[in-house]
Amino acid sequence: MKSKSGMATIAAATAALALILGLAACGGGGGSVGGGNAGEVTVAKGGTPSGSVLISNWPGYIDPGANGSVANFDKETGVKTDYKEDVNDNVVFFNKLKPQLDQGSSGGRSLFVVTDWMAKRMWDLGYLEQLNHDDLPTVFQNILPQFEKSTIDPDRKFMIPWQGGQTGIWVDTSKAPEIDSVSDLFDPKYKGKVEMLTEMRDTVPLVLQSEGINVADATKDDWLAAIDKLREARDSGQIRRFTGNEYTEDMTSGNIVAALGWSGDGSLIGNENAEWRRPTDGCDTFFDQMVIPVGAPNTPAALAFMNYAYRPEVAANITDYVQYVTPVNGVRPILQKEDPKVANDPKIFPTEQEIAPCSEDPDPPGSPQDVADVEAAFEEVVSG
Amino acid sequence: MRKRQRSATGLGRRLIPYGLLAPGTIWLIVFFVVPMYFMAEMSLRSGVPNTPEGFTFNWAFSNYSDALAGRGEQIVRTFYYAGTATILALLIAYPLAYTIALKVNPRWRLPLLFAVIAPFFTTYLIRTVAWETILADDSPIVDLLKSLQIIPDDGRVLATSGAVIAGLTYNFLPFMILPIYASLERIDTSLIEAAKDLYASARHAFLRVTLPLTMPGVIAGVLLTFIPASGDYVNAAFLGGANNTMIGNKIQSTYLQQSDYPKAAALSFLMMAAVLAVVFIYIRLAGTEAFVGSEEEVR
Repeated sequence: MKSKSGMATIAAATAALALILGLAACGGGGGSVGGGNAGEVTVAKGGTPSGSVLISNWPGYIDPGANGSVANFDKETGVKTDYKEDVNDNVVFFNKLKPQLDQGSSGGRSLFVVTDWMAKRMWDLGYLEQLNHDDLPTVFQNILPQFEKSTIDPDRKFMIPWQGGQTGIWVDTSKAPEIDSVSDLFDPKYKGKVEMLTEMRDTVPLVLQSEGINVADATKDDWLAAIDKLREARDSGQIRRFTGNEYTEDMTSGNIVAALGWSGDGSLIGNENAEWRRPTDGCDTFFDQMVIPVGAPNTPAALAFMNYAYRPEVAANITDYVQYVTPVNGVRPILQKEDPKVANDPKIFPTEQEIAPCSEDPDPPGSPQDVADVEAAFEEVVSG
Repeated sequence: MRKRQRSATGLGRRLIPYGLLAPGTIWLIVFFVVPMYFMAEMSLRSGVPNTPEGFTFNWAFSNYSDALAGRGEQIVRTFYYAGTATILALLIAYPLAYTIALKVNPRWRLPLLFAVIAPFFTTYLIRTVAWETILADDSPIVDLLKSLQIIPDDGRVLATSGAVIAGLTYNFLPFMILPIYASLERIDTSLIEAAKDLYASARHAFLRVTLPLTMPGVIAGVLLTFIPASGDYVNAAFLGGANNTMIGNKIQSTYLQQSDYPKAAALSFLMMAAVLAVVFIYIRLAGTEAFVGSEEEVR
């Protein structure tokens, strides 16, 4: 009898444990949502940097190693920087952090980098601290004139450009050298060998342009129609999967012939035949921004890091390694001496005319409900 | 005085079981009941994502029907993947556990069991990502499968249902092997000998004696494999393609991509209810006797 109930207990405990494991795998919601501290704005405190600081950025977005920019910043200032590459997708990063931001905490982060539209969303929800320009002398001394103003943040109250680039097509030239447009990616010839991005604001505008639609004039229905086109391509097996930065892995291991991707990701792709191309039927630019979240500890160190990243010699090292577009003046002359190949690369130093017609990671049109509808439709497609 | 003392000891004795239960109870309350409460509360809120107003609580039961709409395919797929992986794991685990427990020299038991568990000292995520490399389209393994005509020349392994099911089977296999091994190891082998003495064939002895005696292990193994496998999203995310997502991926993307926390919470609850129902039916079919009763027969 005793052993009988013992076995039952074990079985019940087993079932309960397994259920919890399953639940943990499912993830869940929780905590209070909404509110934020919209209305009252905290200004990030300046001062002499010291102590330790946690910075979150996208993978492959800075020169790494013992002589890298982070290590040099630490040597120079005595700050201990914990630099994490844990931003893979704007919306995912936002939603992971949101419960903490709602409570006025940044999860220990003093600075992170998100794309401009996401910085704006966070600012509107009261999740960011305001920047005092007096604390950022190097930034405003060296910022390129075209970045001094931003349509999203006219007075640069909350975001400082980190780096940016273009969304286009990475092509494996040994397998499909002929691909040069977004329409090509829908060609059945490449069935199961192409990938698109889970970032809706990159993928959908490019598809819209490939259909001949001007993104600025696109309606909600246009967005939904483009999303339908993506759904058909997914159902037919044309699109292998939707990814964040992981397309670089599939490009490296030769699983795909082409993918929508970001112009500076070359350092993440171990495939010498991979080539980034600006699509012939559209283009998209983005700019990622440094922001200081509410509740950020050690803001003096975060502000010092911003100033540091805007020194031309530091920015030149970063650009040379990362190969994205820099907002810092004086980088190109340095690279013309040190690495002319990078200095003359039109992806890294594009002209104004090249960038002018591109869409800039736009929000879908309409009210927040309309935006949510479009995002829901896109999510349905992306997660099969 | 003496009497009082005795009653105090009696009281203490009566409290002992509660004291022993306390750590587990507190653990369950903090890590299960409290999160469940917040999740239930969230699943009944409504509002527009990414607005300062956020989601407000208003008994929005419609979240539950909305959460199911358009997700039937993923739900069916989830149970298909998890079920297939569980059956495969059972077919692999039972003979393996049987051999280790009853057939090999006892000296080899420990090293063999270690060999079963060793790969699992590496984290689950790393192992799954490693499979991504092993099964890449140009990998030697896939080339071999192609030359053996197991998959067509233009076929692939990665980003297919097969890869997801294989990943699930592989990742949860030890959860199947260990309980079965534990129940096999406890069998009194003289019972099998007795069956044979009574002219039972090897097959009969296995079906009438060994298998029934190990049913609790099988059932525990099946539950330990099926339940986490049906909630898994890592395998589908890494090894699957755009058409192989499971309900776990759906919940994740509803929460993290779509920012629709109420719907994600509702979907989590529905998933939990579905798993509970499947487990309940399973236990009913397997019989509670097999679940708890066979120990006595061993004695």
